[in-house]
Amino acid sequence: MHIADGVLPTAVAAGSYIVTLAGLGLSLRTLDQRELPKIAVVSSSFFVASLIHLPLGPTSVHLLLPGLVGALLGPTAFLSIVVGLFLQSLLFQFGGLTALGANSLMMGLPALVCGFLYRRLRGTSKKSNALVGSLVSGLGVLLAALILAFFLATGGESFMGVAKIALVAHIPVMVVEALVGGFVISFLYQVKPELLGVTLARENV
Amino acid sequence: MNFDQAHVIVLNGVQTMSLFSCLFLPFFCALVAWLLKAEESTSAGQKTEPDWSSPVLDRHGQGSSLFHTWAPSIKIATLLIAAFVIVSLHTLAWALTALFCCALCVELTGMSWTRPLRRLAALGGFLGMLVVIVPLTSPVQSGETVLVLPGLPEWPYSLAGAHLALTIVCKAMAVALLMEPMLATSSLPQTLQGFTDLGLPASLNQMILLCHRYIFVFQEEMRRMQRSMRVRGFVPRTNIATLRTMGSGFGMLFIRSFERTERVYEAMLSRGYQGSFPAEVRQKITNMDLVKGVLFIMIAAILLAGDRLLPLILF
Repeated sequence: MHIADGVLPTAVAAGSYIVTLAGLGLSLRTLDQRELPKIAVVSSSFFVASLIHLPLGPTSVHLLLPGLVGALLGPTAFLSIVVGLFLQSLLFQFGGLTALGANSLMMGLPALVCGFLYRRLRGTSKKSNALVGSLVSGLGVLLAALILAFFLATGGESFMGVAKIALVAHIPVMVVEALVGGFVISFLYQVKPELLGVTLARENV
Repeated sequence: MNFDQAHVIVLNGVQTMSLFSCLFLPFFCALVAWLLKAEESTSAGQKTEPDWSSPVLDRHGQGSSLFHTWAPSIKIATLLIAAFVIVSLHTLAWALTALFCCALCVELTGMSWTRPLRRLAALGGFLGMLVVIVPLTSPVQSGETVLVLPGLPEWPYSLAGAHLALTIVCKAMAVALLMEPMLATSSLPQTLQGFTDLGLPASLNQMILLCHRYIFVFQEEMRRMQRSMRVRGFVPRTNIATLRTMGSGFGMLFIRSFERTERVYEAMLSRGYQGSFPAEVRQKITNMDLVKGVLFIMIAAILLAGDRLLPLILF
């Protein structure tokens, strides 16, 4: 769920913008220019994937994917997510322009955490990769939901109800995303492990 | 729940229905209008194959309105400040005024209302949730008016909460309407150049351009994959098999898009790409651009001043 314009107090919206810009500056400074197109591509393919709705009982959910972006891109995931969210706001009004900073932190920070955890814990077998991929995918949604609830709660007591409901509404998304994330990682591990930064011998697959 | 201090009004079913229909009327209007427009465009689109490969944002980049002739950097800076002013408003009346001003801006661009309305429709879910939940869960203050709805005695409907939620709805819709005049009245490279002139790193500019270009390519790729899955009898359901299939589908999308880009990137390098695209002719900043900037900042300042000072004068 993206935060729309006008929900957050202006100080919070502006403050999160400043933090996001600082984060962008940092990741751009450490970035290899040749990686730019790769990040752009990963951003756009995740953008497209997050537009697909999966059926869930009578309703449907779409994926948030911070965990997978983190797993694929590692430290540059933040950059990718800001670009993706900027374009989502620009093209479809998913997330307000003034809330872009908050939305970027909401998705970007979990992506960084998940990327770090995935790289640390994934192990060397397909099973462990899929399992850790699944865990970080679920964790990504959980962290994003917690940050969302935190941002909503900065609006004062009137928003506490919304924050709680938003948190609860993310539980099914978390479950779906954990499962899909595991399947995506296991598929990538079998078909193109280089994408995950895996350079081990193929006989382990 | 204890709300002794509040002014309580108990509603019956009919009153509740009419209250909620009033609250949701603007949304339904926007939605219906959008659906009608969408209907029109699909019936028109059937005659010719749509060109899916070309980006849609700057289709209206050509024009002669005051937004089209405005230098992108000044335009973006001004309207971004205006957007932040709008989201800072606290009172419904001034948020409505802002909404009206932004609608006027869209009208001034002379563009069709399809995309602005589609933006409003995209907001529907989030704002609809706010309108329903915030009034029911706002803490009740003393002296405030609450409505007790039939069947929900524990969840008083706070009018202050409703005011807050509707103010947010107006603000969000106002900024959403401002997006098209701000970002779609120049070609996308020019708009991004405007951001770069304001201090955004040039490499980010390149990334956004590439990403924007690829979104439409990959969207078509995804559609093709979904079509071929359907042809092979895949019906999405709520089960593990669906998730596994979709997971592999997403994985395939990433791999295909990645390999495609590697080829394209090599082709770009071999044609002399060195990290930046040839720039279009940059619009020079004229006095007229600055005058427009000052004008819009003044309008925003009036909105903010009215929002903050008028209640003080009146009460």
